This record gives sequence, structure tokens and C-alpha cells, in this order.
Amino acid sequence: MGFARHVGQISVLTVRIVMAVGQGGVSLKSVFAQAYEQGIGSLPLVLVTAVLSGIVTSQQGGYQFSSSIPLYVLGSVVASSVVLELGPVMTAFVLIGRVGARITAEIGTMAVSEQVDALISLGRDPVPYLAAPRVIAGMIVTPILVGVANAVGVLTGLVSARATMGLGPEGFLYGARLYWHSWDLFYSLAKAFVFGFTIPVISVHMGLITHGGAEGVGRNTTTSVVFMIITVLVVDATFPPLFLN
Amino acid sequence: MDPEVTIEYENVHKRFDTPVLSGVNLSVMRGETVSILGTSGTGKSVLLKTTIGLITPDRGDVRIDGESVYHSTRLGLRDLRRTVRYVFQYAALFDSLNIYENVAMGLDPAEIKTLDPQVMLDRIAASLVNVNLEPAKVLSKLPAELSGGMRKRVGLARAIVGEPRIILYDEPVTGLDPVNSATVNRLIMSIAERTKVTSIVVTHDVEGALEMSHRVALLDNGTLRFIGTPDEFRRSEDPLVMAFADRRAAAEAALKLIEHDAYDDNDAGPAHAISIGVRA
Repeated sequence: MGFARHVGQISVLTVRIVMAVGQGGVSLKSVFAQAYEQGIGSLPLVLVTAVLSGIVTSQQGGYQFSSSIPLYVLGSVVASSVVLELGPVMTAFVLIGRVGARITAEIGTMAVSEQVDALISLGRDPVPYLAAPRVIAGMIVTPILVGVANAVGVLTGLVSARATMGLGPEGFLYGARLYWHSWDLFYSLAKAFVFGFTIPVISVHMGLITHGGAEGVGRNTTTSVVFMIITVLVVDATFPPLFLN
Repeated sequence: MDPEVTIEYENVHKRFDTPVLSGVNLSVMRGETVSILGTSGTGKSVLLKTTIGLITPDRGDVRIDGESVYHSTRLGLRDLRRTVRYVFQYAALFDSLNIYENVAMGLDPAEIKTLDPQVMLDRIAASLVNVNLEPAKVLSKLPAELSGGMRKRVGLARAIVGEPRIILYDEPVTGLDPVNSATVNRLIMSIAERTKVTSIVVTHDVEGALEMSHRVALLDNGTLRFIGTPDEFRRSEDPLVMAFADRRAAAEAALKLIEHDAYDDNDAGPAHAISIGVRA
């Protein structure tokens, strides 16, 4: 019942965000400020996870393929794993921790300290003022971050394959191109776009419904993170049957 | 409806886990200052929040200038809210905005777009001066850099900058020392006198309420137990009103009388109740 209520409220919030955008009530300045905060602020952590994802995939793949399968196939394994799965999902997890939790705590604190009520009482709608800039920024920034994570992950996979497996860049890129589908990149960025919407919209919703002082902020931030992780994993599991068959 | 009635609460009911408001009826006249007193948790702030739709009553209606807050369209409600300003208990200033931006939020958004920046600055500065703050010292500061009393005064400045017709004060002196409390009370009085704004003040400060209000109401058990002028309040024989008016000795005597009457009406008096407790 509680889950259904959340889904209903998030659906209403989404419709109101779309209406706010349609009515031109969203400040571009706020969108850029949020995009900067979410994008540039998250970039170092996204790069670290992308580098480590590339290295780990390359080394584990190399370990499995070193006997009978030609080593150049490692290029395909690394490229596909990073682009289809690790790039979008690891970036989403970084954004959940860094952006989503922050949004819930920030808006939750505003809610319990009556700042959201103050906004309403001053004739401002919190949806175009607080929710829409964060959600639009997430939808712009997440595909860009995932694109960067994909490139960095594949590149570090290439470097790692050369350093530890002795597979040169030519062999790695030959393998990567052999099984490459351009659709995979679109798939990756589409997934990023959906994550870029779900993470801020859930975190904004959980922030807006916060009550009960500091304890309420802590409780809702934790619930929000759990909710976002589960949603990202469910969306991730839904994508292959829908788009890879 | 009396054309002089600005705010009208009609049979307002609200319950959360337990009933909070159980049929509140109150009419506030144009330019009038009404203070609402009551013990903690009696629903004073809830009643105030129903005035601008921050809390929706379960039953009943609230009307501003004859227009129902709860039967308005979203745009209608937004327009209604623009004529009303709400001063929150802890000021509710926006943490991420400086004082200039916070006070500017009190202006109509449509007006901000057309207002000359210098005119806007002048209006913001004037409203800060009106609440005894020096604009040059506070404009660029963040709320966290101000004391509690200064934050409350910035909240007042935000409320008056848009020249509203109605101001709702939610415990404006709670948490302030006596000097700052007196300052804020005097500001509320001077704003009301100068601008002829209609004001409702929810407060625990009885002396302040009696000094600044045309009428005083006492909320108890979800209904208005008393409504009258400060003089009527002082003369009231109602034990709870007397307790609020700080006539402690008289109130204690009255409360003792009530307890005595209650026990007389019931065969199971105190001694009986104790004996049951011991047996159980």
C-alpha cells in the first residue's frame, strides 16, 4: 500500500514537472546550477569508478580467456560489459550516493524547517522551483557522465589488458570492433537517461514528503537511497528484454 | 457576508491521529489584529495554516474576502496567497539565499520581472529598515550568519515587502529573549498601525497579545473557548482564561472548585478511585 502511494505520488510529481516545463515556469539558471552541481561535482567519483570498472573487467576477462579463447575477444568483453552495464549502473550508483541522497536531505531539511511551506505561502510552486531543475539537470547530465564513464572504462580496460595480459591495443580494438553494435551505445545512453530521471525524481519526492525533524530527514534519506538502488536495478533488469532482443 | 469581514473560518474541523480542530468559527474584520492563545498542541498553528491552504481541513471552510480557499482553482489559490503573508515560527528563511534574495521572495514574482533593480533594492532596504535592521550590514549575509532575533525580523521584512492585505504570525516571539520579544511585538503593532493590514497572531505571549490585539481568542480542545477584547479577557471569570491572564491564585481556586464539583457529582470520588487502584 505504501509502495503504491509512493508510485502514485511520483507519477503526479512527474506530470506536474512536465506541465511546469510546458508552461515555461522553470528557471534555466537553476537548471544550469543543478547541472553543474550534479555533473562537475560527480565527475571525479564517476572517473574513479569507471577506471576501476575497466581494470577489473579486463583482468577478470583475461583470466578466463587465457586458455582456449583468443585473447583479442577480451576487447569485445570489456567494451560490451562497460558500455552495456558497468558504465551506466556504476555511474547511477555514484549519483544515488552523491546526488540523490543530497537532494533528499536538502529538500527534506527544507520541508521540516517550513521552508517548503514558506515557498508555497509566497505564491511559489515547489515543483518548478525545487523539483523540475533537479530532474531536468539529472536527465541532461547523467547521459554525459555515462558517456565519459564508458570511454574511460574501455580505455583503462585497454591499458590494463596490455599491462597484465600482453594484449596490444590493435588486438584489443580488433576484438572490440568485431562484436560491436552501434545500438549498444544508444542502449547505454538511453538507460542513463532513464536513470537520470528516476534518481532525482525519487529523491525530490522523498524530500518533499519528509516530516518529523532531523530524525525524519535521516529516515527519509535512507529510504530514498534504498528506493533508488532498487529502482535502478529493476530498470537495469527491464532493459535487456525490451531493447536487446 | 459582512463586507468588513476579511477572514472567515466556518466550522473548521481537522484531525490527525486525534481531533485537533473541532468546529472553529471565527470572523476577522478588515484592519483588525486578532491574537489566538492556547496551550501547546491545541491546534493554533494548524488553524493558521488552514488560512492559506498549507493544511486542508477535513470539514468546514475558510474564506478570504468571501472567496473560499478550498473551492478555488490552483491559480485562484495562488492569487489569494499573494495577498497574504505568513510569518513562520522560526522565520523559515531560505538557507541558500542571502538576505536580499530572501526578502525579494516576498515580492510578487510577476512584479519582480518588471521591477527596476534599483527600485527593488530600495523596497527591500526600506522593509529591512522598517524592522530595525541596517540593510548595508545584512543584505549580503546568509540566514545562518544572523542571530535568531534578526532572522525573525528578516522574516517580518519578507512579509511586509510585498505590501500584503493580511499577515499571519505563527508564534513570532517564541525562542526570543524578553528584549527581542518586545521589539518584535512592537514591530507587529507598528506594521498594523501603519499599513492597516489585517493580522492574526498565534502566540504564547499573553501580555504581548493583550497589548497588540483588538481581540483575543482562546483555543481549547479544538474550539474557541473565548473571543473578546483584551479588557473582556482580563475580566473573564473562565478559569482557563484566568490562568492565561496569569491570575494564578484565582485560577487555582476556580480549578479546585471544579475538581470538588466533579467529585460531588460522582459517587466514585477520589478515595474510591484510590481504593480500586490498590485492589487492582
